[in-house]
Amino acid sequence: MSNAAHEFLRSAAEKSADLAHRQIIRRGIDSYNAANERGRSRFLDWEAARLRCQEIKWEAVNNLDRYLLEFEQRVKDRGGQVFWAENSEEARQYITDLATARGVHKVVKSKSMVSEEIHLGPALEKLGIKVVETDLGEYIVQLRNETPYHIVTPAMHLNRTQIAALFKEKLGDVDTDDPQQLVAAARRALRRDFFSAEMGISGANFLVADAGMIALTTNEGNGRLCTSVPRIHVVLSGIEKVIPRLQDLATLWPVLATAGTGQPITCYSTLAGGPRQPNEVDGPEEFHVVLVDNGRSELLANVEEREVLHCIRCGACINACPVFRTVGGHSYGTTYMGPIGSVLTPRLRGLNEFQHLSYASSLCGACTDVCPVKINLHHHLLHNRRDAVNASDRPWSERIGFKLWRWAVEDARRFRGAGWLARLGMRVMHRLHLDGTPLDPARPWNKNHAAPPAPAKSFRALWGKRNGND
Amino acid sequence: MATTESETENPGRARILERLRTALREPTPRPPGAEGRTIFAPVKDVMARFQKECAANITECIVTPEMQSSAKAVEDLLAVIPSGEIFVQDSPALRRLAPEWQATRSIRWSSEGGPRESAQATITSAEALVALTGSVLVSAACGGRGASVVAPVHIVMATADQLVPDLDAAFALMRERNTAFQNSYVCLITGSSRTADIEKILVMGAHGPIRLIVILAMHHD
Repeated sequence: MSNAAHEFLRSAAEKSADLAHRQIIRRGIDSYNAANERGRSRFLDWEAARLRCQEIKWEAVNNLDRYLLEFEQRVKDRGGQVFWAENSEEARQYITDLATARGVHKVVKSKSMVSEEIHLGPALEKLGIKVVETDLGEYIVQLRNETPYHIVTPAMHLNRTQIAALFKEKLGDVDTDDPQQLVAAARRALRRDFFSAEMGISGANFLVADAGMIALTTNEGNGRLCTSVPRIHVVLSGIEKVIPRLQDLATLWPVLATAGTGQPITCYSTLAGGPRQPNEVDGPEEFHVVLVDNGRSELLANVEEREVLHCIRCGACINACPVFRTVGGHSYGTTYMGPIGSVLTPRLRGLNEFQHLSYASSLCGACTDVCPVKINLHHHLLHNRRDAVNASDRPWSERIGFKLWRWAVEDARRFRGAGWLARLGMRVMHRLHLDGTPLDPARPWNKNHAAPPAPAKSFRALWGKRNGND
Repeated sequence: MATTESETENPGRARILERLRTALREPTPRPPGAEGRTIFAPVKDVMARFQKECAANITECIVTPEMQSSAKAVEDLLAVIPSGEIFVQDSPALRRLAPEWQATRSIRWSSEGGPRESAQATITSAEALVALTGSVLVSAACGGRGASVVAPVHIVMATADQLVPDLDAAFALMRERNTAFQNSYVCLITGSSRTADIEKILVMGAHGPIRLIVILAMHHD
C-alpha cells in the first residue's frame, strides 16, 4: 500500500469519528443543497442546460488544439503573452522567472486550483516573494497553513469561532466572531495587499477562444482587484478550460453558478483578454497566460477517459458525495478532492500510488447525477479500478481470493457449499466473540460495525420455501 | 526554416500541440445536445423582470422619468455618502449631468486615471442591463476596470432602452458592437460584492462595492 493510501486511511478514520467536524460539514452541505435546489428551479429545463454544457465542452475538448490556437492568437493581438507549460515545473519556472525579472515583491492571488496543483506559492516564497491569497476562504486556510478543504469553499471545515480565534491571533485588530466584522477585517488587511502588489495571479474558469479572453467568476470581487490593480496579470489555467465561443457563456455562467453555490449567476462574471489598451483608463501593463498540460494531454489520448476533461470545477460532485461528507476534504491529501479528485488524481499523478481513491466511493452515482456537464463519474472510478488492477501488482491474498471466488460462483453446488461455510464461519466467530478481531476474515468491516446474527438458512433455501418447493 | 520566437523560448508549445493532435485522431461520439429544448423561460417584460431580479440580488434600482431626474437622484445619494472623492467616468453624457454634483463633491474624472483607493463612490454608464439575471454589463470603456470595483458604492447611470432580455441577447449585442475586441475587460455584475465563506453566512461587501445602485431613466430626456 502506498504512503498516500496509508495516510488516507488514517485521516479518514480519524475524521469520520470527529462528530464536531461532521456537524460543520453537514451544515455547510445542507445550506448548499437548499440554495442549489432553488437555483435549479430557475431554469425552465435544467436537464437541457446540462446537455448543452456537455455539448459545448465536448466540442471544445475534441478540437482542443484548434481552439487553444485561436485563443492564443487573439490574446497576442491585444499584446498579451501565452506560455505553454508541459508540466508543473515549467509553469512554476515561467512565473518565478517573470517575477524575478520584474522585481516583484508581493503577489496577490485569486483562487486558482492549478496553482495548488503546481505548488506555485512555495516556489515564489522561496524567492522571498510574499504571496497573499485573496479569496476569503483561501485567505483563511493560508493563515492556517492549510490547503483548501473544498475547491469552491476552501474554509468549509471551520466555524466562526475558529476563524475569529485565527484572525485575533494573525491580524490583531479584530476580536469578534460576527461574520460581518470578520469579513471587514479581512477586507481591510487585503486592501493594503491589493494596492501594494506588483503581480496578480488568477485562474480561469474558461478560456474563450473566439474572444481571446479568460472568463473569471468571483463573488467577492477579489478576482477583479487582482486583475485590475497590479502591474502584471498572470493567468494560470489548465489547457482543458477552453470553450469555443463567448455565446457559450450564456449557458455556462448560470450553470456553473447554480452547480457551484446555487446562485443564478456569480456576482462578478469577468472577461479579461490583455493588458491595458492605449485608449483605456487602467489595467495591468503586462498580461501573461500560462497554459498547463501536466498530464491532461494523456487523458485526452485515452478515449474512454477523455470526457473527464469536460469538468468545470463547480464542486457539485464533492457536495453530493457521502464519502466526502464523512472523511472531509483534507483526508484525500490531493489538490482535487471528492469524486472528481478521485477520478482525476490517479490519472494525473499515478494510477498505482493513488488507486486507493478509486475505492473511496460507494458507487452510489450521486456525483454523476449532479454533474452539470454530465461526466459519468462513478463509471470512471470503475475504469480506474480496472486499469490499476491490470497495471499493478495487487496483494497475493487478493488475487487468490478472487480466484477462489470465481471458482465458487461458477458452479451452483460449489456456491451453495461456500455459502454454508460462510454462515458457519460467521456463527463460530460470533459465538467465540471473535467478530472484528484479527482472526476474523471480515475484520475490515466488522471492526467498525456490529455484525448481524448469521442467518440459519441461505437465501436460496428461504426463496425455495417461500415458493413451496421445499 | 526560420524559427519563431515562441519555438525557441517555448519548446513545450509544439510538443503539447503535437500530443493533442495525435490524441484527437481518435474521435469520441458527439453527445445528444439540447437542440430544440428551451433552457430558460423567455423574459416577457424586461423592465419588471430586471427590477424583480435586482431586488433578489441586492442591487438598488431607482427608476426615474429621464436623465435630469437621474442626476438629481445621484445628488441625493451623494448627500449621504461620507466625504471624499467621487470618481466619474469621463463621457459627454456624464459631463453634462455633473455640474450639480460638483457643487458639493470633488470629482475625479476617468480621463485623469483610475479611481484612487480612497474614492467614496464611482459613477459610470453601462453597456447593457440584463433582465434575466438583474445584471449590469460594463466594459473597460465604462470608466475602466477599477471603476466598478474599488469604491464602496458603485452608481450606474442607465436608460430603459439598454435593457436586454437575457444573456444570449447581451452576447449578441457584444458581437454587434465588437465589445470584446475593443476592450481588454468586460464584466457582468450581478449585485454587490459578497461572500459566504464563513459558515455559508451571506456577508455583503467582501472586496468590492457594498452598494450597487442602478439609476434607470425611462427616457433620455
